Amino acid sequence: MYEASSPVVLEIPPAFAAGRRLAVVSSIDTPQMPTPDVLAGLMMQVARDRDRQAFALLFRHFGPRLKTFFLRWTISSGVAEDLVQETMLTVWRKASYFDPARAGVATWIFTVARNIRIDHLRRQRDPSTLPPDPEEAPETVEDGLLGAERDAQVRHALTALSTEQQTIIRLSYFSEKSQTEIADELGIPLGTVKSRTRLAMNRLRALLEDQP
Amino acid sequence: MSQTHHATDETLMRYAAGTLAAAPAIVVKAHLASCPACRARVATYEALGGALLEDIEPTPLSATALNDVLALLDDEDDAAVAVPPPLAPVEIEGIRLPEALRGCDIGRWRWIGPGMKMSRVGVPQDPDANLILLKVGPGRALPDHGHVGTEFTYIVSGSFTDRFGTFRPGDLAEMDDDVEHQPVVDTDGECICLAAMEGRMRFKSVIGRMLQPIFGI
Repeated sequence: MYEASSPVVLEIPPAFAAGRRLAVVSSIDTPQMPTPDVLAGLMMQVARDRDRQAFALLFRHFGPRLKTFFLRWTISSGVAEDLVQETMLTVWRKASYFDPARAGVATWIFTVARNIRIDHLRRQRDPSTLPPDPEEAPETVEDGLLGAERDAQVRHALTALSTEQQTIIRLSYFSEKSQTEIADELGIPLGTVKSRTRLAMNRLRALLEDQP
Repeated sequence: MSQTHHATDETLMRYAAGTLAAAPAIVVKAHLASCPACRARVATYEALGGALLEDIEPTPLSATALNDVLALLDDEDDAAVAVPPPLAPVEIEGIRLPEALRGCDIGRWRWIGPGMKMSRVGVPQDPDANLILLKVGPGRALPDHGHVGTEFTYIVSGSFTDRFGTFRPGDLAEMDDDVEHQPVVDTDGECICLAAMEGRMRFKSVIGRMLQPIFGI
């Protein structure tokens, strides 16, 4: 199908000249974050046109973040890089499942990485099992919210939480630690972790329901 | 279909974060298929995961990481796209089961007591998973039990009632570890449910104690 694949890859020099030209959307060197719209545009270019430059820009934005994500799960640096690669290859392979109406790019890539991590855990436990092939298609949701709108609401709600509450939420997404271990790490009683988690979730829910 | 009994927010967040164990995740997935409200909440918690991923401190990748992955794209494009075979329905002895059980190893019904049958479900992702199908006759009580860890029960067909209300097909009963409850199947027909336990079950009744060795727990 994609006849021009080899010539195109040659057009991307190792130094990544194209990326520099589009430096506004690359956040690695600059603190400026690409907007969700820019990311969605890049993702659509990957899905529709198999655009390698767009893919490379997504890689430069998400790759280092995904590495931190995997490192948080007490995965070694080398394995974390492998899993970043696996995640981004899945993003390339399953790009057609990306639907901006359902989820923003960061959300979609998060679900891909989450599934890869679960798979990795399973392979560690029993290397003989065959991986299932999840469709990476998010559940159909009929609440009329566009993916980008939902993402924006959630991001807004997250910033409205106290630092303490953000920490608790972050730990429950990016850590294998049980609530008991979280309590030890933060040096607070288990009951406090539980109540803080509950409070953070209630606050989040209230913030999300508050929005139009 | 509008459901009455739902998953808690804590559970849906763990499902979205990927930290819920395999067996409970299957039970929650079965419920999501019939519950738009919980699907919307999962979408929100996945968006929360996306926002947290955006916020995370980047860790530099090795210098060759980008070129390594670009070089692999050719193989990806060359790989033939397999057309998936048409999927057979998931069932046990002719009874249709939730799609969430696809890929699981569903055994035969085994008699475990008067008016009560059980099938242990093997979960390929987790050999230690405690996942069972229960078929209980009309008017019969489910085994009386408390549990260590949360118990998740999805109602496939029929209905049962306990002190929290009546649970119908598509509903999810999520019972915390400190809850002792005695579900009784409603009299209009047998009830089939899919149940997962996070921890070990502790049964109180004679039938319950009979179940224990069968569970292998």
